[in-house]
Amino acid sequence: MAPGEKIKAKIKKNLPVTGPQAPTIKELMRWYCLNTNTHGCRRIVVSRGRLRRLLWILFTLTAVALIFWQCALLVISFYTVSVSIKIHFQKLDFPAVTICNINPYKYSAVRDLLADLEQETRGALKTLYGFSEIKSRKRRDAESWSSVWEGTRPKFLNLVPLLAFKEGEMGKARDFLTGRKRKVSGSIIRKESDVMNVHESKEVVGFQLCSNDTSNCAVYTFSSGVNAIQEWYKLHYMNIMAQVSLEKKINMSYSAEELLVTCFFDGVSCDARNFTLFHHPMYGNCYTFNNRQNETILSTSMGGSEYGLQVILHINEEEYNPFLVSSTGAKVIIHRQDEYPFVEDVGTEIETAMATSIGMHLDGKQRWNLLLPPNGLQTALTSYTESFKLSEPYSQCTEDGSDVPVENIYKAAYSLKICLHSCFQTKMVEKCGCAQYSQPLPPAANYCNYQQHPNWMYCYYQLHQAFVREELGCQSVCREACSFKEWTLTTSLAQWPSEVSEKWLLSVLTWDQGLQIKKKLNKTDLAKLLIFYKDLNQRSIMENPANSIEMLLSNFGGQLGLWMSCSIVCIIEIVEVFFIDSLSIIARQQWQKAKQWWAQRQAPPCPEAPPSPQGQDNPVLDIDDDLPTFTSALHLPPAPGTQVPGTPPPKYNTLRLERAFSNQLTDTQVPAEF
Amino acid sequence: MHEKMLRRDCTLQLGRKRLSENFLKGGATMHVKKYLLKGLHRLQKGPGYTYKELLVWYCDNTNTHGPKRIICEGPKKKAMWFLLTLLFAALVCWQWGIFIRTYLSWEVSVSLSVGFKTMDFPAVTICNASPFQYSKVRHLLKDLDELMDAVLERILAPEPSHANATEALNFTIWNHTPLVLIDEQNPHKPVVLDLFGDNHNSSASSSPAPGRTCDAQGCKVAMRLCSLNGTVCTFRNFTSATQAVMEWYVLQATNIFSQVPRQELVAMSYPGEQLILACLFGAEPCSHRNFTSIFHPDYGNCHIFNWGMTEKALPSSNPGAEFGLKLILDIGQEDYVPFLTSTAGARLLLHEQRSYPFIKEEGIYAMSGTETSIGVLVDRLERKGEPYSRCTKNGSDVPIPNLYSDHNTTYSIQACIHSCFQDHMIRNCSCGHYLYPLPRGEKYCNNQDFPDWAYCYSDLRINVAQRETCINLCKESCNDTQYKMTISMAEWPSEASEDWILHVLSQERDQSTNITLSRKGIVKLNIYFQEFNYRTIEESAANNIVWLLSNLGGQFGFWMGGSVLCLIEFGEIIIDFVWITVIKLVAFSKSLQRRRAQAHYASPPPTVAELVEAHTNFGFQPDVISHSPTTGTYPDEQPVPIPGTPPPNYDSLRLQPLDVVESDNEGDAI
Repeated sequence: MAPGEKIKAKIKKNLPVTGPQAPTIKELMRWYCLNTNTHGCRRIVVSRGRLRRLLWILFTLTAVALIFWQCALLVISFYTVSVSIKIHFQKLDFPAVTICNINPYKYSAVRDLLADLEQETRGALKTLYGFSEIKSRKRRDAESWSSVWEGTRPKFLNLVPLLAFKEGEMGKARDFLTGRKRKVSGSIIRKESDVMNVHESKEVVGFQLCSNDTSNCAVYTFSSGVNAIQEWYKLHYMNIMAQVSLEKKINMSYSAEELLVTCFFDGVSCDARNFTLFHHPMYGNCYTFNNRQNETILSTSMGGSEYGLQVILHINEEEYNPFLVSSTGAKVIIHRQDEYPFVEDVGTEIETAMATSIGMHLDGKQRWNLLLPPNGLQTALTSYTESFKLSEPYSQCTEDGSDVPVENIYKAAYSLKICLHSCFQTKMVEKCGCAQYSQPLPPAANYCNYQQHPNWMYCYYQLHQAFVREELGCQSVCREACSFKEWTLTTSLAQWPSEVSEKWLLSVLTWDQGLQIKKKLNKTDLAKLLIFYKDLNQRSIMENPANSIEMLLSNFGGQLGLWMSCSIVCIIEIVEVFFIDSLSIIARQQWQKAKQWWAQRQAPPCPEAPPSPQGQDNPVLDIDDDLPTFTSALHLPPAPGTQVPGTPPPKYNTLRLERAFSNQLTDTQVPAEF
Repeated sequence: MHEKMLRRDCTLQLGRKRLSENFLKGGATMHVKKYLLKGLHRLQKGPGYTYKELLVWYCDNTNTHGPKRIICEGPKKKAMWFLLTLLFAALVCWQWGIFIRTYLSWEVSVSLSVGFKTMDFPAVTICNASPFQYSKVRHLLKDLDELMDAVLERILAPEPSHANATEALNFTIWNHTPLVLIDEQNPHKPVVLDLFGDNHNSSASSSPAPGRTCDAQGCKVAMRLCSLNGTVCTFRNFTSATQAVMEWYVLQATNIFSQVPRQELVAMSYPGEQLILACLFGAEPCSHRNFTSIFHPDYGNCHIFNWGMTEKALPSSNPGAEFGLKLILDIGQEDYVPFLTSTAGARLLLHEQRSYPFIKEEGIYAMSGTETSIGVLVDRLERKGEPYSRCTKNGSDVPIPNLYSDHNTTYSIQACIHSCFQDHMIRNCSCGHYLYPLPRGEKYCNNQDFPDWAYCYSDLRINVAQRETCINLCKESCNDTQYKMTISMAEWPSEASEDWILHVLSQERDQSTNITLSRKGIVKLNIYFQEFNYRTIEESAANNIVWLLSNLGGQFGFWMGGSVLCLIEFGEIIIDFVWITVIKLVAFSKSLQRRRAQAHYASPPPTVAELVEAHTNFGFQPDVISHSPTTGTYPDEQPVPIPGTPPPNYDSLRLQPLDVVESDNEGDAI
């Protein structure tokens, strides 16, 4: 044996091999506990005495449990948002302002279309409430009341009869048309709430809607005849107007010049050309100011009423439809340029003979999905939000509605309301075969009318009931939009024109209207509207993720470090030792057992064959050979003196390399001591 | 650094020479020098003497988790761990970068609180929509009103029969900025018609019978604004005559009022005792004496309740209308200036104590003949200021002098913007506008002294660039309070109570038994705190230094199990590295010198000892010096290599006695 080999063997003997090449699991565990970077394990092995060891085991386990608990909490709270508020004082974009007259069409223009309906309504009023003459405050051409009533057979009351019910005998009803009592079958649906107890003994008014075969009927009753007749009128009105072409309807309604007497914006005059037409089925011609006509959005750089929009509206009460609308004035909706103005749902109503001043504050809200934090992680975070798209980790909102399975039938940006209306309209077309009049038409559909869809009303009411009770599933499908702009409005009223200025103001305004109106304007025909920013403060509320992924990791790191002084390296270690190494040891043992068993079976005659020592079987042990630590030193020539004769004792500093390892050596010998 | 190295180099050489000298001399100084040298060496001595040693030592002894594993296992694992450690180190650096950047972006987090607490009741400013009582200003406006009547007549009914009435008119006002009709029936060739074209000479082409064929469709009313003695003129167009005549009237009225001293204007406006008929705060009666009056150019006398300038602000500790401010006002609609204001009502603003009321911008109307109830929610925003958000604490860092500081009011952005406008006005038109306060030593604009001012003003007013410069110059203030109002209205007094209420109020005001007030003139106001009266949004720093440190620690701990001490360790190693490099360089230069010196000898090849010497680090011998002082004889001094010396005690060969626990060198090694 060469001297080098000898030394090697010696070292091997002295050096306990307790690396991951350890032959048994127990050895491996011991090695792990001693060499790991975490703090608890080492103390388990090093401690003497059972109690102490037990305590350390307990401590370590507690620490591990705490880590798991805290990390779980961190993960759970990861998808929370924090809100931040940004304030800017800046030039603000002026919102789009849509102004509608409450009355959709000039009554003189639609009279021809609605003549029959008006007669029948009057007739119904007469039979129901017994009065014959309507005293109109303003209408000059009040016709004689019951002129052609006895003429042709009424078609509207036939289709949907108005009925009066006596309380108590619900099955029976009095028909207005014939005056006869008739049996009413079908479910009675009350429009009034069940909680309210209205007039016990009074008659209840309602109307009956039947499906195709008239076997399936529903009766809608109202606590007040006002509601009943208005609802009934509206049904027929929609039916009639659905058959009129859009152009004709626009012509029947008010023109911009008629509606707007004066206009002033940001200190500069404006006129009807600054407004774009928007036809609403129930409100007729509406006019939108600042609707991005030539791709520029007007903005104000000063607060105060002087720098906002000032308009004087002409509201001609004489042309009002007496049954469709019962209030006078105009409706104003302040909205985003790409937003659809829901005239019937939102908006501020303004009164005649008043100056209505609407001060605005802009409250912008943006949710996290849209807005990325301004730090450098944008790209990384974008990819995260996109990958989380399906689960929408932060909130249930949608950016542009493209991920909502409802087709947007409005030509406007997505909003929850648009989604709900589109959903209802789509369902309506599906179920009833035609579209409801007050909402836009989906592609390849027609508005409902009697001629083509005789039973659409029944269908509509049924569907509407289901929609309100959330049975159509629209509410669950539609999600709110991620960002929206909202204007907080402060509305105040003042008398306008004042008594002393009334005279001259009205005459000048009449001159302004010029040819359109031959007579002098009355102050109840006019309304003044001021819309302005109170100040140019914009408060935007933003939702940001409270935690970013690096925060989560650093919190993990903090927890791991606090309880066990552990890091990701420790986790890799654990994986390495507990999974790879221990599995390989187990596999090796099993292999050996199998080999032994095989050998026993193969050679039963010589069972005394000594099993090879385990340590040498370990194939990994061979690696020892090329461990740089010792071999480099060991391969040195055994008799150095002969090679360099007569040299002075040099102090090669380089050769002190092994110092570092002698250090390690002593370290590895520690376990051997106990 | 370099210098330092050099200096050390010198001391090394010096030390060596001196040492040799000392040897010759001997004595006590030698011990001191020796001690110094030892100290020097100890300083130099790192954990190893080569780069590799150093690295290995570092990896083995560092507290970070990764490096330890690099050196203790086989080559494959070694490579893996090496890569892993590098990866983790890179990750740590990256994440640290993110955290530091986040910290330096000065983000804020907000906390929001809503509830009810006893708060100072807001200051309430009340003005009449009309600035003056017509009965008192009639003499000033007489000429203008007559002119206005004539203008209206001309526009509405352009009959020549009225021409004789115009004789008495004062045309000096008119000639300065006349209203004209622009006939646009031929859109390519608009004709400008002067309203009184036939009565006097005018520069514009005038037709004999202006407006005869004109109506609103064909003609537009415009205002002619001239400067430089009427040589440069522009027309300010209006789409409606109503606006044109109102703008014109306001411009002329401004001109008139700006020449009247402030005291007279105050006297012509509505005094507090006339405007405020009844006042009740909580259960306490109050009167017009509790109001502070200031003069607002647009609305005349404004009266501020609870301004907090002289006495302490009044608190309100209960929600509901019963505990708020109740006012009955008399706006006297019949005495309004007819052409100046067309809207009738009271103007009202809630604002913070000690702040100037910008009632034109932020105020609301209260209608006559109604009771207006206003529920108040105080929406307060407190911000941190620089560097977190761009705002100013008291306006001292805004480059525009605050013109509203006369009243001792606090800074607000409105004040800044108005001051900025006035500043521009004075710079461009050399006079101040009547609506804004005057800086010292300036004058208000009027037609006599500044004939070009109307032209200049209307130019400036629609100048967007001017407004934007003002907005950019002004900063918003850090503490911002808004009063969110819930307004509701009801008719008041009711039909049944109208009679007695008007009787009582008339009796109180005029001591008359007849009704001198009308429901067109009285306004009732209730201002009170809502159930929740405050909403405070407070900013706090989202990321402070503690946050930064804990996150840096978290990241370092998570990936590598390290701490600040590890960084120090690392720094130490770097120093060692540098040191080794220095030593090596010194040795290298030494050997170069030597070689050059030896080249002269040329003949005998360098002996082994010389070679050895060349590789020996001279800085390090004293390791053994303590054991054997004789080795103090330096290689330099060694005369000739002695052949046949005993085998050298190479340090490396000390491996052999490994089985005995070696400890003698331990102390030196570390």
